[in-house]
Amino acid sequence: MKVPESYYDEIFAFAGQWDVPSSCGLKIRKNGDETYVIVTELYQDNPGTSVTAAGWSLASQICEKKQLDIRKVHYIECNPDTHSKLSFYDEAYYEVGFFDETGARRPVPVYTQLAPEKIRQAII
Amino acid sequence: MNTKLKAISLKIIYPRWEKLKGQTTFNLPPHGPVVFAATLPEQVSVSFTDENVDTIDFDEPCDLVAISMMLSTQVKRGWAIATEYRKRGIKVMFGGISTMLHAEETLQYADSIFLGESEGRMEQVLLDWQNGCLKKVYNYMGQFPPIESVGPARRDLYKRDLYNHKGVQMVDLFHASRGCRFSCYPCAVAYLGGRQFRPRPMWRVEEELRTIENNRLFVVDNSLAQNKEWELKLFETMIPFKKKWISHTIDDDPEVLRMAAKAGAWYVYQAVYDTSPYIKERIKRYHDNGIGVEGTILLGLDNQTEDDCRRLIDFLLEIDLDLAEFTVMTPFPHTKGYDDLLRQNRIFDFDWDHYNAGQVVFYPKHMSPDKLQELYDYAWKTFYHDESQEAKMTRLFTRVMMREMEDGTYRPRDRRLIGKSFGKDVVRTTLTQ
Repeated sequence: MKVPESYYDEIFAFAGQWDVPSSCGLKIRKNGDETYVIVTELYQDNPGTSVTAAGWSLASQICEKKQLDIRKVHYIECNPDTHSKLSFYDEAYYEVGFFDETGARRPVPVYTQLAPEKIRQAII
Repeated sequence: MNTKLKAISLKIIYPRWEKLKGQTTFNLPPHGPVVFAATLPEQVSVSFTDENVDTIDFDEPCDLVAISMMLSTQVKRGWAIATEYRKRGIKVMFGGISTMLHAEETLQYADSIFLGESEGRMEQVLLDWQNGCLKKVYNYMGQFPPIESVGPARRDLYKRDLYNHKGVQMVDLFHASRGCRFSCYPCAVAYLGGRQFRPRPMWRVEEELRTIENNRLFVVDNSLAQNKEWELKLFETMIPFKKKWISHTIDDDPEVLRMAAKAGAWYVYQAVYDTSPYIKERIKRYHDNGIGVEGTILLGLDNQTEDDCRRLIDFLLEIDLDLAEFTVMTPFPHTKGYDDLLRQNRIFDFDWDHYNAGQVVFYPKHMSPDKLQELYDYAWKTFYHDESQEAKMTRLFTRVMMREMEDGTYRPRDRRLIGKSFGKDVVRTTLTQ
């Protein structure tokens, strides 16, 4: 279940839950005024916490390292297509909403599924 | 500050959980607590209570309590036990698989939680406790101790008579490796034990097998099909011990299957995930080598419609399985299943008592939760309609007894315990007019 390299520009090493060394694929794209941060789950090549379980912590680590304002980015989790026979490993994208309408951080983020075609057209 | 550990009395507790209704219940001696006990320094005197077969005496004196949890369905009970002890002023620490899966919540009920594998680490933890500076978290996640440091489990701690059903001793659990190179959709092992397969050296396997008196084992490694060379070496090592054993999947390879049979493979758990001829052939290849098969069938995956589930259940009746175990998809934390269903807002029940793999806690893609629950019940009833689970088990059991009689390892039932089942009196019903 090797993740194709086309899904990321770099491998981002991060401290996962309980500081477990973890890694994900990372792509950062600008489209006009919008900044998109796309984190890709690496499955067998991620020794630690999944991008979803790492959630806010991972987003914070990326934004700090890349000097981005976490409130101003579109933060997107990507399940890459691994050409598995199993449909659970199909390509999928979720935009993660860490903040509510008032700007307060949500205790549990809100996820919005995005069509892969849209992602490709808009930002990749 | 003392740097030498004094004598300590430690009580290890394994919390009970509610068994699935309508299914034959067997209580196997738990593995985690006795593997943990083996990592304790010699100054520690240990007592062990498995609450599934025994009662906790909260007033029995002890210095420290360690609660070992494997299942999500144990955590709430574990928290309640901790609360009782802490009321009595006794410090409680938690460890084990489900402590790691539910660490943040467990922390609220614990004086300390231990995350990771405990080999070579407990002396410092106990010194901290002795010096009054027990840490809230001992975090060894992802930092695996050298695999050769894993010694024989402390099976002497079991109250053996409690793991006996009508005179028949339950199998002993044993592990030959840790970690798993696979990262399966519903499984958390990669998170817990790492994605790197870590086989124990064969001298450790031999050493441990020598300590096990039981002639029947359950090799609890997640999957033996990790490395063919290692698998063959393991079976070769096991042959002289003449144990009969159950395991999870083994490689579908003629040489491996032949060696597994020689090493005493009794039956294996094999996932049946579709109705392909491959599955049918695979079951046949096990049987051709004299190895029984318990099919494990997971219902409620996103690629299954109601019709698919029914077809799968019908298929099982055609493929000559010895036993079948049905579960419903359950999104355990730290699995891909959990991540996906959480993001899709499809988990409606976060009561860990319900995470028993027999109760639907999420919205399936192609049916309602009630429909999936109904299919789960239908699967059990249909598969065991013509021959009950107990009758099928008896057939498998008879087969192993025959093999044992052939190679001289058979041990008759313990007549003392013929009227007992897991420590309780067997209630016999007599038909009267």
